[in-house]
Amino acid sequence: MKRQLNSYWAVAQLDMAEVLRSRWLLFCVVIYALLASVFVLVGMRESTVFGFTGTGRVLVSYVHALLVLLPLMALVATGHVVNKARDDGTLELLFSQPISRAAFFSAVSSVRLVVLLAPLVVLMVAMGIFGRLVFGQQIEWSFVNHCLILCTALVWAFCGLGLWVSTSVPNTARATMYLLLIWVAGIALLDFALAGMMLQWRLEPRVVFALAALNPVQSIRMALLSSADPQLSVLGPVGFYLANRIGSTWLYVLGLGWPLLLGAIAWSGALWRLRRGDVA
Amino acid sequence: MRVEGRDIRKRFGRIEALRGIDFTIPTGGRVGLVGPNASGKSTLIRIVLGLQQCEGELLLDGSSKRGLELADRIAYVPQIAPKLGASVGEVVKAITRVRGLAVDDVVERGAQLGLDFRAIDRQAFRDLSGGAKQKTLLALALASRASLFVLDEPTASLDTTSRMDLFDQLSHRTQGATLILCSHRLEEIRTLVDRVIVLEEGKLAYFGPTEAYLDSITLSTIEVQMLNGTGGETLTRLGFEPGVAGWWSRTATRAEKLALVAELSETMAGRLGNLLVRDAEAMRLDDQAEENEPSKRR
Repeated sequence: MKRQLNSYWAVAQLDMAEVLRSRWLLFCVVIYALLASVFVLVGMRESTVFGFTGTGRVLVSYVHALLVLLPLMALVATGHVVNKARDDGTLELLFSQPISRAAFFSAVSSVRLVVLLAPLVVLMVAMGIFGRLVFGQQIEWSFVNHCLILCTALVWAFCGLGLWVSTSVPNTARATMYLLLIWVAGIALLDFALAGMMLQWRLEPRVVFALAALNPVQSIRMALLSSADPQLSVLGPVGFYLANRIGSTWLYVLGLGWPLLLGAIAWSGALWRLRRGDVA
Repeated sequence: MRVEGRDIRKRFGRIEALRGIDFTIPTGGRVGLVGPNASGKSTLIRIVLGLQQCEGELLLDGSSKRGLELADRIAYVPQIAPKLGASVGEVVKAITRVRGLAVDDVVERGAQLGLDFRAIDRQAFRDLSGGAKQKTLLALALASRASLFVLDEPTASLDTTSRMDLFDQLSHRTQGATLILCSHRLEEIRTLVDRVIVLEEGKLAYFGPTEAYLDSITLSTIEVQMLNGTGGETLTRLGFEPGVAGWWSRTATRAEKLALVAELSETMAGRLGNLLVRDAEAMRLDDQAEENEPSKRR
């Protein structure tokens, strides 16, 4: 166990150094900060969006923008971790040392999650404090936590998918194509797009709802809005249907649980492939 | 560490990289792994290291099981160093950490190879020169407690002085340990190993003593310069071709070389202006080598 932990920390330090040198952390901070400042500047007013006001409104709008951005960033951060390391001989060197594949995989996954989430945590807390200091808004810490948990689940789901592509597709160019397809599918297959498809091709509503609910981006969106009034215009057709069927608590559980489960399945599948396959 | 391969086979799709390799390297054995490109050398090395699966059995000290304890007893230096973005100091720290080594030991080994770790400590590993990368990996390997050293073209990026330093260190550090050396350089094979495995198209073409192998594949160039342009007839009979300024030359195997030099000294005494003998730098792994020593081939 001590050896496993040693290998974990050794790989984590190496990967963190790699990430810092490639300025990934800086990139994440800049993107999140740019987005946050736009929403803070234009949104911190006494108006209502989806029933949310003030800081809550800004956070809801911010997380909505992150629903598009985070999957892409998570896929880019993880989609080439293993195949690139295999190509450039890093895996060959590391696995000829007393480093287990599980320790390597856990370490690089943790580092990528930390790099994607740590700046977000800092920024969201800063947004709350900024709203309090500048606009005199009450800090809704429970809602900040709620948003952070949802962002974590979303990042975890797409990190899992990215790592799965990274271990399953050795060719980096082809992997990039699959990563883009996953991102496009996540963004395109939201309920309103599917409702359009349903009308166009006369699909069964249950099929459409099931497809939409399987999309982790849609799931997180439903969980985000589960505390709002269950109105069709707020939740969208799938969220509205589910909220009326199972209630807002279960909508939240389902919306949060599915991305977590999907991420765990993809991550485990990726680890299984790495442990079974050739690494060089 | 004893290394045994039993009917090792490996396929990559339709390509059969290894076609039933059997070999045994006893503990303390020093074996050179040679062969032309795409002959299966790298694949065999990766199978030994546990990086690739295979059909057949690869036993290390009689066991096919792998684990961190076993990996701790193996040191590997790849031919091409990875493009790690971490600094040299971070790479050394990470590897010494997982191997439970002292960083100072690595620094000392590096110094013996002519590498000043303090000067490159903060440099990104991928930005180092080829020689510095190789020396770093060699220092890490030499500082380890390994009982099996697997070195893939370890001197490919080293200058002559560094090569000599490495040979010196290797011959001391690998005493009693098993050494598998993948190389195309005659001097490495001659200096560091006592047996040679030759792979050709995924098959074992030769597994035997180094000297016998070198005899069969080393080519020497013999050049003689005659005084006053004499001796042409004899030189032609001995297979020499005329060149410029009275020079004649021919290539010869290692066995032929000694006989030729002896005959030249005897028959041309007093007429020889100069005599040069050069061993070829690269190994010859073609049909001619096979014709020279067919009995040594399986």
